[in-house]
Amino acid sequence: MAKWGMVIDLEKCTGCQACTVACGMENTRIPGEHWQDVIFFQEGTYPNTQLKWFPRPCMHCENPSCVAVCPTRATTKNEDGFVLVDWDRCIGCHYCMIACPYGVRWFQNQPPTYGGPDIMKEFPSGDGHTLIGEEGRNWNPPWALPEAKQDWKHGVGVGPRNVVTKCTFCHHRVSQAPKGVADLDPSDPKLRDYTPACVVTCAPGARYFGDLANPDSQVNKLIANKNGVRLLDQYGNKPQVYYLTGEGGSVPANRVIKKS
Amino acid sequence: MIAIREPRDFAEVFKTLMAMWREEGTVRFARTVLRLGHEPSAAGVMWSIGLIGTLITFAWCMYMEVVEGHAALNMLSDGINWGAQIPTYVFFALTSSGLTMIAALPMVFGFKQFYPIAKRAIWLAIITLIAGFAVLAFELGHPFRMLWAVPTGLQIMSPMFWMGVFYTIDLILLIIKFYLLWQDDWDSPKSHMVGILSFVAVILASGMLGLLFGSVVMRPMWYGSFTSIYFMLTAALSGAAMIVLSTYMAYGFDRDNMPATLKTLAGSDELPKVFATLAGIALVMILTRFWTGMWTNLDGMEGFKKLAASPWFHLEIWVGLALPFIAMMHPATNRKVGWQVASAALVLIAMFINRIEFVISGQLVPLFKGTWVNSLIDYTPSFTEWMSIAMGFFIVLMLYGLGEKLFRLHASPSTGAAGETAKVVTSVPA
Ligand code: SF4
Ligand code: SF4
Repeated sequence: MAKWGMVIDLEKCTGCQACTVACGMENTRIPGEHWQDVIFFQEGTYPNTQLKWFPRPCMHCENPSCVAVCPTRATTKNEDGFVLVDWDRCIGCHYCMIACPYGVRWFQNQPPTYGGPDIMKEFPSGDGHTLIGEEGRNWNPPWALPEAKQDWKHGVGVGPRNVVTKCTFCHHRVSQAPKGVADLDPSDPKLRDYTPACVVTCAPGARYFGDLANPDSQVNKLIANKNGVRLLDQYGNKPQVYYLTGEGGSVPANRVIKKS
Repeated sequence: MIAIREPRDFAEVFKTLMAMWREEGTVRFARTVLRLGHEPSAAGVMWSIGLIGTLITFAWCMYMEVVEGHAALNMLSDGINWGAQIPTYVFFALTSSGLTMIAALPMVFGFKQFYPIAKRAIWLAIITLIAGFAVLAFELGHPFRMLWAVPTGLQIMSPMFWMGVFYTIDLILLIIKFYLLWQDDWDSPKSHMVGILSFVAVILASGMLGLLFGSVVMRPMWYGSFTSIYFMLTAALSGAAMIVLSTYMAYGFDRDNMPATLKTLAGSDELPKVFATLAGIALVMILTRFWTGMWTNLDGMEGFKKLAASPWFHLEIWVGLALPFIAMMHPATNRKVGWQVASAALVLIAMFINRIEFVISGQLVPLFKGTWVNSLIDYTPSFTEWMSIAMGFFIVLMLYGLGEKLFRLHASPSTGAAGETAKVVTSVPA
């Protein structure tokens, strides 16, 4: 069994948000629904301030609080370490959103968070939706993920209304990777197509994706040699996303980023 | 002339209704139903207002659900994931639990002087729970899916799963218990057993509702082993307030209209003392919670400071809890109808504010949500949310009127089956 995990090198990250955009396009998310986000904040008070940024996907926690609270088993952790939502089971109770310390979950079907047109109305699905029984798609933009890759059981693709969504670690790509590979390195043409979109697109190469259960993987070595740390470890979720802080970066100790 | 006179079971109710419909024709029958009989009564007024209110609010919510979807209910992803409907559900569910606890005073613990309110308390427990579920259903993305997804998922790690299990058991036991009382079975071993089971179920149910909030470590305003106790004890207070207020409502706020046994209870200081004790306990619990929150520097507790600055919080503490506490303690005021009714109403309002504060303030400090929410979140319920909340209250009012009219809610073992004649009789003028 693989245990997929990610390492993000904060010294290399430039905060360019390419990962955010790549994720939104790859997974056909609604504008504002950032499965992957780079959060900007200011530390200190004027004139001693620093502008900081922090990339934040779903952590695919080893001990995910979102899985424990879900009353329907719509959210599960599979044997390869993905934490996924089954859109056919989710009742939209929001409990997982309450219980995820990292704020990575979204509720489908909300008005545009940015001003401007309601993109779901601009690209209506046409198959409608009902309150009872089978649901149609929420929307249907021309750039949607190919039909063959849509997978509601694992929360991949353009989903129905009234369910919760989150980063899947690009399940549709990673789950097709050859068995036994230690790392999905986007610079290797044979593996590129199986690597999560955010990792592929990251220009400074700040993201690494590999098997945490494989002692030879580069992600394991980076964590060991460069002192990988996890976000908000005190909550006991044990993320499978590790951050390398090096000299320049830092992992926020608080979830509250105060307005100064 | 066909009339519903204290029906003995549901078969009789339906038979009478069918006969009335055949005799009166649809229009007259509908009018009679809308007024719950031909003679004006407090119950009839509650029923009509409740029914019309329920229909209007339900229609509005359904319309918005279809046109706007859940966006109308303010269920966004910016941090307030549980909007005003969840505290409303919590308010109703805990009020229901509290009423069951009050009913247990005579039925389980043998405080016989409380018999005259037991049946009414159980009826109210049933209908407040139904109202709570109705409001909750609008909050859920897929309420109907829940019916199969929860039992087949069997996620025993989830407090929400157990809350569902125990509140369902609670509702079933309440209905059985009410049916037994309807049949004037107060004291048989069977009735006793159901009473005890129902009390256990309600403790577990309210405890699980507390666990649902108390188990999430990332929400420090909720987290902790104290939350379940807090829910159980404040539930008892809401229950006490509800029974006092509703009893007076049923008799047009006039103690002289009450049957003798009830009048004796209402005029004594027994109930006010129970009431004051519970209000005092709630007051202490809320204040201790609050000053811990003000003192601590734990990340995520900032909501308490916001509470301290909110007029609603002070209204709740001083007007909604402290004032009724004093009024119900003091011998000069605690037997007066006006003070009893006002105290009950104020406590209910305070408890409603409290549930909103509890649920919302726990979410005010955002999780890692991105650049655009980086401080405490602002939240105001949408109009549709208010409508769905109002729907809950209208459902209670409607079903309470119905219960008053049909079920002799004041009955107690001393009045018995052939005891006093109920004032509430539906009859068709000749
Ligand atoms: S980051 Fe949140 S959503 Fe992702 S696995 Fe952990 S608890 Fe679940
Ligand atoms: S919203 Fe869906 S995935 Fe989240 S806890 Fe509820 S049922 Fe589970």
